[in-house]
Amino acid sequence: MVALVVATAIYVPYSLRVPAPSGGSAIGLIYGSVGFCFMIFAGLLGLRKKFPVWRIGRAQTWMRAHLWLGLVSYPLILLHGAFHFGGPLTRVMMWIFTVVFASGIVGAAIQHCMPRIHTAQLPMETIYEQIDHVRDQLAMETGRLVESACASLDGELSRASMGQLAAAASAGTDWDVTVADGLGFNEQASRQLRDFFLSETLPYLEKVGSRGMPLADPMRAKAMFQQLRILLPAPLHSTVGDLETICEEKRQLDRQRRFHLVLHGWLLVHIPLSYAVLLLGAVHAVLALKY
Amino acid sequence: MAEIQAADITLTIDGLAVIVPSGTTVFDAARMHGIPIPTLCHQQNENPVGVCRVCVVDVGQRVYAAACIRPCEPDMKVQTGTDGVINTRRTLVELLMSDHPSPCAREQHSGDCELERLAADAGVTSPRFPKRATPRGKDDSSLAIAVDHEACILCDRCIRGCDDIRSNWVLARRGKGYQAGIAFDTNLPMGSSSCVSCGECMVSCPTGALTNKRIVGTELGTGDVVNPEELLDLPIFHNVSGTFLELNQKAIVKRYYKAGEIICREGDFGSTAFYILEGKVEVYLSSPIAHVKTQDSGGGFFKRLSSLLTPRGDDQRAEESTRAFIPIDASVDLPYGNPVADLVPGDLFGEMTCMNYYPRSATVRAQTDCVMLEMLRNVLDILQRNKTFRAQLERNYRARALDSHLRSVPIFAPLTKDFIDHLRDRVELIRYQPGQSICRQGDPADSFYLIRIGFVKISEQRPGGEMILAYLGRGGFFGEIGLLSGGTRTASCTALDHVEVVRITGQDFQLMLDRFPDVRRSLEGVAGERVEENRKHVQQVGEVPVDTFLAQGLMEAQSLLVLDLEKCTRCDQCVRACADAHQGVSRLVREGLRFDKYLVATSCRQCRDPLCMVGCPVGSIRRRNTLEVIIEDWCIGCGLCANNCPYGNINLHPFPVELDDPQNPGRRIAGTRQKATSCDLCHDHEEPSCVYACPHDAAHRVNPPEFFGGLLKRQEAGNRG
Repeated sequence: MVALVVATAIYVPYSLRVPAPSGGSAIGLIYGSVGFCFMIFAGLLGLRKKFPVWRIGRAQTWMRAHLWLGLVSYPLILLHGAFHFGGPLTRVMMWIFTVVFASGIVGAAIQHCMPRIHTAQLPMETIYEQIDHVRDQLAMETGRLVESACASLDGELSRASMGQLAAAASAGTDWDVTVADGLGFNEQASRQLRDFFLSETLPYLEKVGSRGMPLADPMRAKAMFQQLRILLPAPLHSTVGDLETICEEKRQLDRQRRFHLVLHGWLLVHIPLSYAVLLLGAVHAVLALKY
Repeated sequence: MAEIQAADITLTIDGLAVIVPSGTTVFDAARMHGIPIPTLCHQQNENPVGVCRVCVVDVGQRVYAAACIRPCEPDMKVQTGTDGVINTRRTLVELLMSDHPSPCAREQHSGDCELERLAADAGVTSPRFPKRATPRGKDDSSLAIAVDHEACILCDRCIRGCDDIRSNWVLARRGKGYQAGIAFDTNLPMGSSSCVSCGECMVSCPTGALTNKRIVGTELGTGDVVNPEELLDLPIFHNVSGTFLELNQKAIVKRYYKAGEIICREGDFGSTAFYILEGKVEVYLSSPIAHVKTQDSGGGFFKRLSSLLTPRGDDQRAEESTRAFIPIDASVDLPYGNPVADLVPGDLFGEMTCMNYYPRSATVRAQTDCVMLEMLRNVLDILQRNKTFRAQLERNYRARALDSHLRSVPIFAPLTKDFIDHLRDRVELIRYQPGQSICRQGDPADSFYLIRIGFVKISEQRPGGEMILAYLGRGGFFGEIGLLSGGTRTASCTALDHVEVVRITGQDFQLMLDRFPDVRRSLEGVAGERVEENRKHVQQVGEVPVDTFLAQGLMEAQSLLVLDLEKCTRCDQCVRACADAHQGVSRLVREGLRFDKYLVATSCRQCRDPLCMVGCPVGSIRRRNTLEVIIEDWCIGCGLCANNCPYGNINLHPFPVELDDPQNPGRRIAGTRQKATSCDLCHDHEEPSCVYACPHDAAHRVNPPEFFGGLLKRQEAGNRG
C-alpha cells in the first residue's frame, strides 16, 4: 500500500507537469519495470508450490507477497500506461491483465470465505479425490443394509410352519393381527424396501452429481423417508434411518464437489491468463525497448 | 526294624466271608475280593478322607458308613448293594450333579468324567434339585491347566495330590458352605501362584474341574515326537511331571537342521520356542540397518515411486551413536555394529514369540548340524516353572548375557568388568504374569529392575484415575527414581505380558552409584527428565477441562498436526510437501477427527501412551528423551507397530533387496522387504514440511493441551454462561 501511495504521489505532479504522460518516459518506464517485476514475482508462487519443501521462505509469506504485489502491480501498470490501454498488443494484454486481476480478487475472496462455509455445511467431508470411491462404498453399504433387513424378514417367513402358512392362505382372524397377516405384512414390507432401494436410493447413489433427482433435494428426501417409515414396520425404521443418513452423506459429497469447483475453479482462469500476461508483457517490453 | 504282623479279621461282604489284615478299610476289603464299591473322593495312592460319601455301605448300624474310611471289624456284616444303599448313593450323585456343568470339559474331551459316569450308571439324567444360584467361576490363568470351579465337587483329591504326593503345598481349601472351593496359594489365580504345573492335581481330579490345556490350532506338525521317558532323561526336564509330558506329547518335537538351514526368520509370526540340544546356531538381522527413504524412479507424467535405504552415515540421527546393542528374543543381544551372535547347546531362543506371540526378532541359521527341541507355550511354561531349568537358564544368563544386557543400556557403559562380575552372582531373575504388579506406587524402593523379556507399563495413580507414563521393553529399566531419592516408589509398574526382569538389590545399586560417578550422574539425569516430564504431563491434565478432550484421545498426544478448517482451502499443499520431503510417499492423510474448527490430520501424534512401542521384537521403535517416537534403522518390518497404532499413523514401505533364492541355494534374487515409517517431524528442519508449505496458515504442529486449552476453557465458560 505504501508503494501504491508513493507511486500515486509521484504520478500526480508528473501528470500535471507533462501534457501527455506515456510509458516510454523515464517515470513511465520505472512504473512499467516495477509493475512487471511485481507481476513476475507474483507469478513465481506457482513455481514455489511445485517445490514445497524448498526452504526459501514459508509458503504463507509467498502467498501474502503474491496477493499484495499482485494487487499493487495492476495500478502500477495503469500508471505506466497513463490509464491508456495503447495499441493492439497492449490493449489485449491489459484486458487479460484486468481479468487476471479481477479473478485474483474474486479468488482471494472465495478462498477467504468458502472454507468457513465448507466446514459448516460439510461435516462429513472427505478427501476430494476419494469422493467417487466413498460414493461406491455408500452404494455397497446401502445394498448390504437392505439385504440384511430383508433377509431378517424372509427369515421369519422361512421359520413359519406349514400350519402358519396355511393360516396365511385362509387369513383367519385372531387378535388384531393374525399370524397370516403378520407373514403377509413381512413379505410386503420386504418388497417395498427393496423397491425403494432399487428405484430411488441406488440410482441416486450411483449417479455423479445427481442434480434433479428426488433424493438430491433434502426436503423431498425427508418426505420420502417419512412416507417409507409409515409403510414399513417399526423394526425396519432403524434401517430407514441409516438409508437417510447415507443419502445425506451423498448430498454432502455432491455439495463438496461443487464447493471444490468454486474454491479452485477460478484458478482455471487465473493461472493460464497470468502466464499469458507475463508472456505478452515480456514481448511488449522487448518490442517497446527495441523500437 | 522288625515288622509287626497284624491280626487277621474275618467279616462278611454281600454274604461272602472274607479275611483281611486288621486296619483294612471296608472299601479295600471289598476291592481285594472283587466287590466293586463306587467312589469319587478316594483313589488308591491317596489317603482316604470320606468327603463324598458315595461309597456308603450298610454295616448293620444306625447309619450307613463311608467304606473308604471305615475300618473292618471282626464279624462285621457289610451290604454294598441293598436298595437303601443304592438309593442313598443315587441321591448323593443327584445332589452333586445338580451343581455340575454337564457335560463338563473332561466329559467333552475324553468322556471319562467319573461323576457323570456314576450318574449315568445310576440313571440320573436331570437332577430334581435346583442349581446353585451363584457362579463359582473359571480360572484360565495357567498355560498348562484349565480350572473350572463350577465342575469341582470338593473331593480334595487334587489337594492331597499336590500336598501329600508331590509335597508342593500349593493347593488348599478356601471358604465355607456355598463359598467353599479349592485355592492356589493365598487364593491367587493359578498362573500367578507358585504352582509348578506338575499336573498331579489334574490327573487326580475325577471331573472336569482341572483339565489339561491344549494350545488350540498349533500342532507342531512335522518333527520327531519325543516320548516322555526320553525327555525326562534330559537334565532340563528333571522334576517335570511325566503325566504332563504324556498328555502333551505333540506340544514338543525334536527337529534336525543341516548346517546353513534357516530355523526361523525375523518378522515371521510364530508360537514356539527352541532349545538347542546339539550344534551351534548363528543369530542375525537380515534386514539392512538403514532408514527407509522413497524417491521418484522415473520421469513422465505418472511417476513411479520406489523406496530406498539410506545408511546410517548418510542419515545420522540424534542419540544413535550411543546405541551399542540391539535387543532380541534370545539370551544374548546383537552388537549394533555387527548384528550377529552365536547360540550353543543349552540356550533357549524364541521365548517372547512363544509366550507373547510377538514376531520373531531375528533370523536364526544353523552353523553346524543341529538338534533342537521346538515347544509350544504350555511346555515352555512348565519348563520355566521347573527349578532345574530355571537354574540352568539363570546360569546361562549370568555367564553370557548379563554383560551385554547391562551394556545395551547406554547409561551402564562405564561399568567395569570386575563390577559386572560382582553383580553376576547377585542379580535375580524374576518372572511376572500378564497383569501382575511388579511394584506399586508408595511401596518402599528396595530394588532396581532391568527388563529381560516382555513389556512393563509404568503408571501413576491420580485422582482422575490411572495415568500411563511409559511402556518399557527389553533393555528398559525402572526403579531408579525411588532409589535415588531414598524413599518410596513414585509410580506403579505392571507386567503387560509375560515379563522377566533382572532385579538388582538396593545395596548393589548404591554400591554401583558410589563406584561409578558417571553412572550416578547419568541416572540422576534420566530420573530428573522422567520426573519433570511426569510433572508437566500432570500439570497439563490439571489445567485443561478434559472431558471432551479425553474422549477424542487428544490428551495422549504430544504433537498433533491440526488444520484450521476455516482457513484451509483444501489445496493439499501439506500432503504434497510431506510426499516431497519423504521422496514421494506422504506420511500424512488430510483426514481425521474434528475438534471444533480443527481437523486432526492422520499423522503421528507422538502419543504419551505409545501403544505402537508395545511388542516391537527388536525395540526399534522408541522414544527420544524429548518423547518423540522414532523408528530406528534396525526395524525388521514385522508390522506390529502399524497394527498397534490405534490411529493408523504408521505405514510399511516396501523397498527392493536381494534375497536367497529358495529354488537355487547360493543364488540371489531380487525381492522386497518392508520397514515401518511414521512422521519424523522432518527432524532435519526447524519446522515440519507440511506446516512450512501451507500457504494459508492453516496447518500447525501443536502441543494439544497448550493449543486447545484456551479453546476448551472458553467453551466451558460459554456453557456455564
